[in-house]
Amino acid sequence: MTDLVRRTLFALVLTALSVPSAWAQTPTPEEEDPDLEVNVSQPDFNLAALPTNLRLPKGKFAFRVTHRFSRPLGEGDFSDLLADFFGFDSGAQIGLELRYGLFRGAQVGINRTSDRTIQFFSQYDLANQQSFPVGIGIWGSIDGTNNFSDSYSPALGAVVSRELGRYGAVYAHPIWVDNTNPEPSELVDDNDSFLIGVGTRIRIRPTVYVTAEVAPRVAGYAPGDALLSFGVEKRVGGHAFALNFSNGFGTTMAQIARGGTANDDWYIGFNISRKFY
Amino acid sequence: MTQAGKQLIVAAALALGGAACDENLSDVAGPTPNLEPTLSSIQTEIFNTTDSSGRQSCIQCHSDNGRVPAGNLVLLEGRSYAMLVGVASSQKAGATRVVAGDPENSYLIHKLEGRADIIGQRMPRTGGPFLTDGQIRIIKRWIEEGAKND
Repeated sequence: MTDLVRRTLFALVLTALSVPSAWAQTPTPEEEDPDLEVNVSQPDFNLAALPTNLRLPKGKFAFRVTHRFSRPLGEGDFSDLLADFFGFDSGAQIGLELRYGLFRGAQVGINRTSDRTIQFFSQYDLANQQSFPVGIGIWGSIDGTNNFSDSYSPALGAVVSRELGRYGAVYAHPIWVDNTNPEPSELVDDNDSFLIGVGTRIRIRPTVYVTAEVAPRVAGYAPGDALLSFGVEKRVGGHAFALNFSNGFGTTMAQIARGGTANDDWYIGFNISRKFY
Repeated sequence: MTQAGKQLIVAAALALGGAACDENLSDVAGPTPNLEPTLSSIQTEIFNTTDSSGRQSCIQCHSDNGRVPAGNLVLLEGRSYAMLVGVASSQKAGATRVVAGDPENSYLIHKLEGRADIIGQRMPRTGGPFLTDGQIRIIKRWIEEGAKND
């Protein structure tokens, strides 16, 4: 399949996905849409990098900026780290993400990181805790390097969540990612990865949370160490500010599957997200 | 549209994503874009042919046509496999030219990469151009896959 055909097909599917929201949904007054209410257990669409099961209201947008500063925190002594303002003086891998609620329980989005990777993603809320012991979201995405023109890595999996009352949530992410090995398939034994991410967001104050996640690859291509992040997050109205520490820079699913750099290298970063509703 | 219909569309989108596009081997192969990890391809593209970078063909020296083959190694078509795989190096005691499945312990790779442990010169002995990292990577892959006579 040529790149052009692939991109055309992908655009067609995205278009097809957008159609039902236009013709088949019974208009729902905004004040009746429960997705518009703040979910204090799942206040944002991601932990540090892995997705949550927060639903995006139909017809609404959300935006996120991710920064992963490239200076290892362990480089030099503490005075060096202070001189570099804990890494904030260094370059960073920056991600810009926009997502949209297609119809109730379904969202699509695009995320571009400054290494010129573009990820298109969709998530569908298959079950939630109102009717099932856990929430289950179906995740599908495709990464393309070099501005979505070189190497494509589709991902398919689930986001399983369990809300802990009003105190946060725990997550599991069984996700398969194809074409994770950057070498041609003729030269590698494994060209896909199956990861089972686990993570949590715990509410420690009314609007303050701590997050943690790790994405071990249990089968397939698994270079380096599993991507591991933890952080602290403050929610302010429609904004969320998160300061996090990671052993890598990944924020798209293929980047997550390729793992972190090493357990000895830790990097500071932050996420800022904004809900437009 | 029904709930099932929506789920079907989402599933179709996800399934489409499953058709991954891979990197091209030719991007790795550099000056020998047709090079593949098979002996017949390595024979044609590496042993027999001087490539577009100017890297000299191997059989200029590793031939017994009217000459004594360098290193007592003949890389002519139809004979290279028997001279390489599982055969002790005539240059370095204890070394094996190609250990099937183990490129790191294959002396051929050491010679092509110019490692510190080799005796004599890095190959090709013309002082360069040498094989690119990508070309050597493809030869290593042939060895990793069992160095078959394919």
